[in-house]
Amino acid sequence: MQELSSIERISRQLKHLPVDRVGLMESFWNHTVKHWVEQGKMPADQSAGEHFGLDIGTCWAFNLKVDYKWVDQLVAEDEDTRTFLDGNGATLRRYKSHDTTPEHINYSIADRAAWEERAKPFLTVNRERINLDGYRSARQRCQDKQRFFCWGGVNVFEAIHPVVGHENMLLGMALDPDWVKDMADTFADLLIGLMETMFAEAGKPDGIWFFDDMGFRGRPFMSPEMYRELIFPAHQKTIAYVHSQGLPVIMHSCGFVEPLLPSMIEAGIDCLQAIEVKAGMDLLRIYKQYGHKIALMGGIDVRPVANNDLPGIEREVMAKLPLVMGNNGFIFHSDHSIPESTDYETYQYFFNLGRSIGKYNN
Amino acid sequence: MTDFIALQTAIIKGKRDDVKAIVNAALEAKEDINALLDKGMIPAMREIGERFSRNEAYVPELLIAARAMQAGLAIIEPELAKSGRKSLGKIAIGTVKGDLHDIGKNLVAIMLKGAGYDVIDLGVNCDIAKFEDGVKQGAQIIACSSLLTTTMAYMKDIVTHFKDQGVKVIIGGAPVTKAFAEEIGANGFSDDANGAVKLVDGFLKA
Repeated sequence: MQELSSIERISRQLKHLPVDRVGLMESFWNHTVKHWVEQGKMPADQSAGEHFGLDIGTCWAFNLKVDYKWVDQLVAEDEDTRTFLDGNGATLRRYKSHDTTPEHINYSIADRAAWEERAKPFLTVNRERINLDGYRSARQRCQDKQRFFCWGGVNVFEAIHPVVGHENMLLGMALDPDWVKDMADTFADLLIGLMETMFAEAGKPDGIWFFDDMGFRGRPFMSPEMYRELIFPAHQKTIAYVHSQGLPVIMHSCGFVEPLLPSMIEAGIDCLQAIEVKAGMDLLRIYKQYGHKIALMGGIDVRPVANNDLPGIEREVMAKLPLVMGNNGFIFHSDHSIPESTDYETYQYFFNLGRSIGKYNN
Repeated sequence: MTDFIALQTAIIKGKRDDVKAIVNAALEAKEDINALLDKGMIPAMREIGERFSRNEAYVPELLIAARAMQAGLAIIEPELAKSGRKSLGKIAIGTVKGDLHDIGKNLVAIMLKGAGYDVIDLGVNCDIAKFEDGVKQGAQIIACSSLLTTTMAYMKDIVTHFKDQGVKVIIGGAPVTKAFAEEIGANGFSDDANGAVKLVDGFLKA
């Protein structure tokens, strides 16, 4: 088979059709790329995706904050961290020196009454919530290089917890499920409305990449039954809309979400991404059980990469890639993202290994 | 006389008002408050922990049970203090330096409290000095949590620091494995909140 463009390759892989090689994609911590730029290993004016020639380009264009015009206010600062009040009324602490999920200090919207009064009425479709210029520009850059372009962004689970906090959301699931359903439905409608606006004004992408971290080590946050009752309807609704536009859906979830997978597949996902090994996700098992139904991206343990352990990388890649590329539906990606401890040359080795082993002899 | 099964059921189902009613009735009847803990609340939290381990309960169920127990505990705490009841032991818990992820740490703290231990929650981003504060407050065990591969390396510094101080150091978190715990010489490792309780039981409840 002659060399395919990235758009052709990924589009075909999401349908399990034959391709020239596995798709290549990766996520990087901001500080990893910054570090490599500072070392002169890659230019500052290029994204890592463009630099390495990754097959998928993304753009996160939506602002889902309750007050989307709000500029984060610095409320405290120490040597290592800054604490902000954000547009959801949440107080969050972030590190200065590295990227990580912020510490959740306080949520001013913590129950149904506050949600109904101070959040829900403001979560309406408005084109100002969309970074249309950024989206157009990212889409054009991808089109120019024939890279598969995704609008990327959170789905409802990851949209709710920045407003009310993980703990209030999870308590609500057990104590006031109708409230959680209402929040999920509100965000589903908002997402669909924003996608409609964006597609009409700036064109469609090649696919949609939703992010909903629904698990942690060894288990999902909620039972499969609770997922089914509270989150699944919103997933199904948003994915059905995306499919109605002729677009495929990649769904990212960190953590162990295997018990949720049958329902996620029923909700319509075309590809599962991340497949976090350290949380208990087993790429080979998932491939065997679900690989004929959905495409898979990730599941290659990032720890040898983070430790600059080249023999370890080879062992990990060789143990998985030759097997999971069997049905054309595997896209090469680590099981999470590349942290700043990774040397540029190490990532290059990992990438090149995926590229060479992932070639098909058609 | 308190129906301890009803109290346990109310906690397991997260029925906070039912728990308050049962506990208040027991107090009015001048019943033994220690029995409320030993025969009602603690067994209920241990049961929900077991269900969590068996994937029969998830985080929402754990949180509502802890919330219900806390409601009952708040009512009897003044009386418990007067009774001179001693806790099973004291544990200082925190996420290690550089790590702000506290969901896992909070779950472990909830389960330890529910199992009858005193928990000194040191919060997030804890350096050795912060864990030392916990030891000064009487902690017999230090429980360290880390979500990131980049921060888990600091656990070795903690283990090394407390090695000869008569304090046990146990570790957990997404990237942490039994092999890593053994490699750095930690006293124990658990991959879930209920396992952490059992680990602590092994050290303090013998």
